[in-house]
Amino acid sequence: MSVVHPAGPAAATIATLWWVLLAGAVAIFGLVMGLLALAFRPRESTGGDRVWIVGLGLVFPLAVLGSLLAYGLVVGERLLPREAPDLVTVRAEGRQWAWSFSYADAPDRVTEGVLHIPAGRPVDVEITTVDVIHSFWVPRLAGKLDAIPGHVNRLRIEAWAPGEYAGVSSEYSGPGYREHVFTVRAHDAEGWSAFLAGGTP
Amino acid sequence: MNDILRLSLPLTVWLAAFSALYGLHGVLCSPRWDEAALGLAAGRGVLGLAGLLAVAAQVALLLALRSGRFASPSGFVRATSVGLSVVALVATLWTLIPVAATSTCL
Amino acid sequence: MNALQRHRALTRIWASEPGWTGWLTTVNHNDLGRMFLVAAATFFGIGGLLAMLIRAQLASPRSAFMGPEVYNQVFTMHGTIMMFLFAIPLFEGLTVYLLPKMLGTRDLAFPRLGAYGFWCYVFGGSMLVLSLLAGVAPDSGWFMYPPLSSSLGSPGINSDVWLIGITFVEISAISAAVEVVVTILRYRAPGMSLDRMPIFAWYMLVVAVMILTGFPPMILGSILLELERAFGMPFFQVAEGGDSLLWQHLFWLFGHPEVYIIFLPAAGVVSTILPVMARRTLMGYGWIVGAAVSLGVLSFGLWVHHMFTTGIPHMGLAFFSAASTLVAVPTAVQIFAWIGTLWTGRPQLRLPMLWILAFFATFVIGGLTGVMVAVVPFDWQVHDTHFVVAHLHYVLVGGFVFPMLAAIYYWLPHMTGRRRFFRLGETAFWLIVVGFHVTFLAVHWVGLLGQRRRTETYEPGQGWEIINLVSSIGGFVTAIGFGLVLVDVVVNAAVAIRGSRDPWGAGTLEWAMPTPPPAYNFASLPEVRGRDPLYDDPDLPVRIARGEGFLGTPRGNLRETLTVDVASGRAAHHVVLPGNTALPIVMALVTGGAFVGMLLKLYWLVPLAALGVIILAIRWVWTLGSRTDLGPQDVGRGLALPAAPEVEDPPGWWGTLFLLIADATLFGSLLFGYAFLWTVAPNWPPPAYLEPGALMPALAGAGALLAVLGPRVAERGLRRSGQAGAGLGLTLAGAVGAAVAAGLAIRGAADPQAHAYDATVWVLGGYVLFHAVLLALMVGVLGARAWAGFLSPLRYGELRILRLWADYGAAATVLGLAAAGLPGALT
Repeated sequence: MSVVHPAGPAAATIATLWWVLLAGAVAIFGLVMGLLALAFRPRESTGGDRVWIVGLGLVFPLAVLGSLLAYGLVVGERLLPREAPDLVTVRAEGRQWAWSFSYADAPDRVTEGVLHIPAGRPVDVEITTVDVIHSFWVPRLAGKLDAIPGHVNRLRIEAWAPGEYAGVSSEYSGPGYREHVFTVRAHDAEGWSAFLAGGTP
Repeated sequence: MNDILRLSLPLTVWLAAFSALYGLHGVLCSPRWDEAALGLAAGRGVLGLAGLLAVAAQVALLLALRSGRFASPSGFVRATSVGLSVVALVATLWTLIPVAATSTCL
Repeated sequence: MNALQRHRALTRIWASEPGWTGWLTTVNHNDLGRMFLVAAATFFGIGGLLAMLIRAQLASPRSAFMGPEVYNQVFTMHGTIMMFLFAIPLFEGLTVYLLPKMLGTRDLAFPRLGAYGFWCYVFGGSMLVLSLLAGVAPDSGWFMYPPLSSSLGSPGINSDVWLIGITFVEISAISAAVEVVVTILRYRAPGMSLDRMPIFAWYMLVVAVMILTGFPPMILGSILLELERAFGMPFFQVAEGGDSLLWQHLFWLFGHPEVYIIFLPAAGVVSTILPVMARRTLMGYGWIVGAAVSLGVLSFGLWVHHMFTTGIPHMGLAFFSAASTLVAVPTAVQIFAWIGTLWTGRPQLRLPMLWILAFFATFVIGGLTGVMVAVVPFDWQVHDTHFVVAHLHYVLVGGFVFPMLAAIYYWLPHMTGRRRFFRLGETAFWLIVVGFHVTFLAVHWVGLLGQRRRTETYEPGQGWEIINLVSSIGGFVTAIGFGLVLVDVVVNAAVAIRGSRDPWGAGTLEWAMPTPPPAYNFASLPEVRGRDPLYDDPDLPVRIARGEGFLGTPRGNLRETLTVDVASGRAAHHVVLPGNTALPIVMALVTGGAFVGMLLKLYWLVPLAALGVIILAIRWVWTLGSRTDLGPQDVGRGLALPAAPEVEDPPGWWGTLFLLIADATLFGSLLFGYAFLWTVAPNWPPPAYLEPGALMPALAGAGALLAVLGPRVAERGLRRSGQAGAGLGLTLAGAVGAAVAAGLAIRGAADPQAHAYDATVWVLGGYVLFHAVLLALMVGVLGARAWAGFLSPLRYGELRILRLWADYGAAATVLGLAAAGLPGALT
């Protein structure tokens, strides 16, 4: 379930983003606290409005935030569900309190509570709901995206390696919310073909 | 009251332009734009044009608030309203970055 | 008249009635401010208790202490109480108490409105708490997303309690905001120009305007959702052309400014206290004013950052990511101006300063995590996890509760006239600060490890157990700290020794009076020449008490004060404020009747209560104004000012203006919602549009025209020949025309349960109809007042108030009915 233990490219990009954000935040927090502490030492008064307000209050945050915004937008663009050669499309339908999944490559298959995907290939999940708002989240693979009544949202996920990854609904949905969970099972190439062919790996 | 207007107008115009731009973007990515069959490139052009208009409005406001005709008689209000007008111009430019930097409807 | 005689005469005029009825009938801001503070503290206690239940539940995995049904009510009510019944009323109370004193005036602009707001708050808040005791409290989360909060997800009464109770409470926020804006703009000491205002007044001016423009979207959302729940009008149901995302937009259009509505008063407190603690004046006054205004407006461009995971295209999100990063800049300007103030002063570590340091340490972390979640991809991961819970607690506790604790300790000597003697406060400080950081640093961490918010428990084995236990222990330590603060404040207020008048050596006017403050604040109103009148003239308090300022000679039973020109602060008008009355509490009770009628589906009660409100409102305005021409009023120091009934912009005109700004925002939100559904909702267009025909547009246009003309004709007639009748008649005809046109629109729409479009037409028509009826009622009341002699060629200000309503009503008629009818006319 951990955001900082990624198992796919999207989650890894965001985990890196987090460590950068954390480092920057710690540095800025240290700077502010240091300046605050130094205000209490015995000394001659220093610094005019210009240093404090223009320098530290305007220029410094504009520079930091400008680069941060650019970084965030670039990362955001990279995670969008763009066209890809070996793309797999699946559909996730939420309801109180279960998930069912269907597959563009195997139109007859519907699985309950377990989403099957191939490892190492980009997968687009088309997310929707039949009742209230839910949210599709597999923390180790990617960020979350909501399931909104009447809308279909598209989320790009990918797992590096075969395995099982925990997924949850992460939009509060009433008394059964805690148990509104699912599993993503990533297969190697053979396992995926077998699944599509109707096997139950 | 005029002084209150001088202080509040530039940022209010930013907010109006910002909301209008977001609304316009919403229309571009909605089925209604598909029905009109104008295409996304035209849509981005419209967004850019709207952005230019917003910037022009901010520049005009800034010049007006510095001019003899519209500036406040109070020195404090004059300085603060010009400052806030600069803030509004920067905010307009800053929040226009996505029009150039991101994909339209993904 | 010597100082003591003056004190006795003014106290007789301004004090509340003796005995317990005094609490029910008082309209004095000294009483109401304290009542607000005590009520808000009580709700904080209840909300805090719920917080402890949450931490007890989460302390261990698989906890069986509460099931989901109970837990859902507990966390929903914790958020709701802290946001709506604690945070906003607390700073309102502080403002009501302090603002007239800082501005150098005797009371707020609309004393009875303030009292009415207070009682609406207490009654509405009590409804919510009672529902908790009855086990039917709201349980859809404090932001109430439909469909979960609507009939589909919550068939019971729980959501209705939230929608109706909170709307009732919001009457107090709106009325307090109107009162605060008008007070700051008009009710100041003579000579206090805009640039001489205490910085706290600037902050509160921004906050009050934000309340007037931030709350209406949510009030509209609550009305629409209640209409959906009660009458099946499908604004948020996708199958019938609604969209659940509309609620999220309306809610966060309120919800994000709300965060700054809570933070800015606290920043105003910091900007006031910190320079005093640093023994200098605030660095960069003009910069701070600019930062506060920028923050206020920019915060309205952030609402979608609560909706980063709803599937809005990346460019749409990027707009809000950009705005959300930008909003950190004015915050940084303030933070560094404060630190610069400390660097250039001689800061002293007294208890209010300790709390301000805690504010810095906590709020800066909250701001930094705020910038993190403003980065779209990061938010995709942590949205709806405990990381966001921790972030918002750092912002709200660090950015609001800690500065408010500084405020309590700073102004406690003012309220009690006593010096703090028992030193529990320092112990409480360390317990709260350490406890808080232990609690919520842990909550950040467990959020990153994947724990969602709002689950009643969790399974062991995910590395969350120890973190949650530590967090819960920190939470209990914090709670003990708050308990100690309560004991400390009560003990020091009750038994500590008398203190000096200005214990901190501050320069603002609230310290230029005896403490605890007399009911009238200032024996005479000072003339102000700088930002810190007490630094400019240390003898000012003595001269005020000696009656050397304005209005130093009490007359009869009149609560006299004066208003000033907005920008220059020149003395402008003489005003007599209303005295003690039970009208506000009675009106709040009757208003409550309408809300209870909606809640319990006793719909016959609603029109009955509305009628009661109308009758009481007429009684309310009947006590205002004058039946004789007054002429210029002597205000002392050789100055005579026009009396408020004889000016073109009486206080009521200003109040109306700002109330209409809130009204216009509500209407604008409605038009936004309509456009949103048209653009985004999947099941549009509707099966059929309203056919406007020719009669409805003609009636609407003619009605609007007459409504605009009428008050102008009435004023001309009154000022030339003393006759307003013809103009009032025209206005009435305009109102009737608009009402009939609105009725035609409603009748022309299909069944409002069929499609969101038809429901919207009903609401648009209903809005126009409401304003037309209101205008007709006003014309009737004004006609009666003209007949009773309240109007004269000199006393025409009331017609200006009517004109504001008529102009607004005309604009709403044209816009609203055009929006309803245009789609049908075009297709």
